[in-house]
Amino acid sequence: MTATVEPTSPAPATPSVLSTRGLTKSFGGVHAVRDVSVGFLEGKVNGLIGPNGSGKTTFFNMVTGMIKPDSGEVMQGERSITRWAPHRIARLGIGRSFQLCRVFPRLTVLENLLVAVRPTSLASALLGAHHAPTVARAREILARVGIEHLEHAEARDISYGQQKLLELGGVLMADPRIIMLDEPAGGVNPALIERIATLIRELNAEGRTFIVVEHNMDLVMNLCDHIVVFDRGRPIAAGVPAEIQSDPAVLEAYLGV
Amino acid sequence: MPSASDHIVGTGVARTRDRGVVRIIKGVVLLAGAALLVSWPSLAANPYLVSAGVVVLNYAVFASSWNIMGGLTGYISLGHAAYFGLGAYGTALLIQNFDIPSFGAWFLAGLLTLVIAIPVGWAALRVRGASFVIVTIALVLVLALIFQSLRGITGGSDGLIVPRPFPDLLRPEHHATFYYIYAGLLAVVLAVWFVIARSRFGAGLKAIREDEDKAESLGIPTTRYKGIAHALSAYFVALGGGLYALWFGDLDPIMQFSVLLSAEVVLMALLGGVRFLLGPLVGAIIVGTALEYFVLNFGETQLHLVATGILLAVVVLFLPDGVLAGLSELVARFRPQATSIREMTAEELQNQRVSEVRPGSGVDADPTSSERSEQELAPVERSPS
Ligand SMILES: Nc1ncnc2c1ncn2[C@@H]1O[C@H](COP(=O)(O)OP(=O)(O)OP(=O)(O)O)[C@@H](O)[C@H]1O
Ligand SMILES: [Mg+2]
Repeated sequence: MTATVEPTSPAPATPSVLSTRGLTKSFGGVHAVRDVSVGFLEGKVNGLIGPNGSGKTTFFNMVTGMIKPDSGEVMQGERSITRWAPHRIARLGIGRSFQLCRVFPRLTVLENLLVAVRPTSLASALLGAHHAPTVARAREILARVGIEHLEHAEARDISYGQQKLLELGGVLMADPRIIMLDEPAGGVNPALIERIATLIRELNAEGRTFIVVEHNMDLVMNLCDHIVVFDRGRPIAAGVPAEIQSDPAVLEAYLGV
Repeated sequence: MPSASDHIVGTGVARTRDRGVVRIIKGVVLLAGAALLVSWPSLAANPYLVSAGVVVLNYAVFASSWNIMGGLTGYISLGHAAYFGLGAYGTALLIQNFDIPSFGAWFLAGLLTLVIAIPVGWAALRVRGASFVIVTIALVLVLALIFQSLRGITGGSDGLIVPRPFPDLLRPEHHATFYYIYAGLLAVVLAVWFVIARSRFGAGLKAIREDEDKAESLGIPTTRYKGIAHALSAYFVALGGGLYALWFGDLDPIMQFSVLLSAEVVLMALLGGVRFLLGPLVGAIIVGTALEYFVLNFGETQLHLVATGILLAVVVLFLPDGVLAGLSELVARFRPQATSIREMTAEELQNQRVSEVRPGSGVDADPTSSERSEQELAPVERSPS
């Protein structure tokens, strides 16, 4: 736990749909995330950037409950969701993808989506997973991300780019209001990056909030309405893309040693 | 063979007809198998063969119940002998000490084991992989010690005689009766597995098997799901154990609370194929018959122990999906023009890649190219422990 009184990032003017207060996590001696208080804007595409190892993924994992913070709070609106189990956070309408794309390898593409449906009662839990309306919805989403022709293939047999689309499809199946993507363009070819960017824009236009970690600067600057920059576990800047691009602290973090 | 994760991509009329033929063959084999199972007591030449049939069905119930958790969630428990022993001893002790009718005691012992299994599962399922296996082994060892040392109640290693439920029946009828009771229980267990495997709940369990953290991140309450699968699985194993007590009539802590028993059952399930409804049954028939054969011809030696170990290693190394998966692959190979899912996808994949790459010239068509390797250098996300 770091009891420092370092300045944190400026509080955003508009109310945050998701925010943190003094979020901190270390692994042994590594201070992965240090006293981070940031907020993300509702209905916007929020960017989260920073050099390798600056704590972005750790931050994501704490916000989604996958890692328990050492200290600090995660707030959804005015409600603290700190230390909630990940599935409860998911059920609040917060979906996420993983940096190293994660799908269910030995389930089919279609089944990968069907598992994301939450039963509401014992009867609905025992209902066939291939319930017709659910399958129809899953197919719609597969068509939307452009892999409907792979429906019956096992997820381990499709390409990495297709797996990325599949992972996004699985996240969409739960109809989240907030979507957190950890490097959506990582490891995929330029044509696919364009497709993913278009999807994000469309989904955002439907009113879904995005929080996107990404190393591809062109993509970040094009896509994001507001950006937070991490360096060595803490935010060093926040603002619109133009501000970030000319921020001396950001330039130093990326270029300097 | 009905299977929850049996997906066949059908293309063209020829393949559809092909599938029809395969389906008919499967149906015939299934019916013949079911007929043989049902008529075994009347076909068997002597009472010993009927009792061997009971032994195999006992294994089949155990392995199929184990598979409610093992096959669907991927948690490999070597501890289910604990529930078998609790069901067996529970039944015997309830009859002896409370004068409850045999099958009433059997039913109650099942429920009691279920109640015990819930907190045990809650504690054990907090760890994964090898740690989980070790916790489950410890469970069996601890219970074996407890039941051995509570001499006053359990008779310790002198054993416990269980009153026979049908005192008027002669040996052969006794075996035949239990044969059919076991067959009925097996039918129930298989039905439960089948319904769960096809359900949303079952889809959640399979997601846990594939990637537990990912499942959790999609909103699946993994702890609760695993706990329910474990408790159900323990319940049916206990019912099998209770039947064993009533049938065999003599219990010994070392035989009932035995890691070896657990291991044999896991071997049966893995050998048959944990992804298949009938996998554990097929495994139980193969291994159960082999074990009986060993005991009959070589007596109670350590030989079957060695054989079990070797077979387990062979299955894990060469038949990870079991004989049923191997069989369906074989069928696919001999089918004319049959394309496997892999081949089809590879082809589609190729088209997909070509179309993806076309806009930007000079792009590497392999999505696992340079960009990917950089990806793999990134810190690996680890699960909270
Ligand atoms: N489970 C863990 N155990 C130990 N150290 C960890 C663990 N996870 C992350 N770290 C360390 O914490 C720091 C922050 O890592 P994190 O993965 O959050 O960075 P990142 O900003 O996502 O980096 P990248 O851009 O490379 O993905 C790194 O120094 C990393 O090595
Ligand atoms: Mg990262």
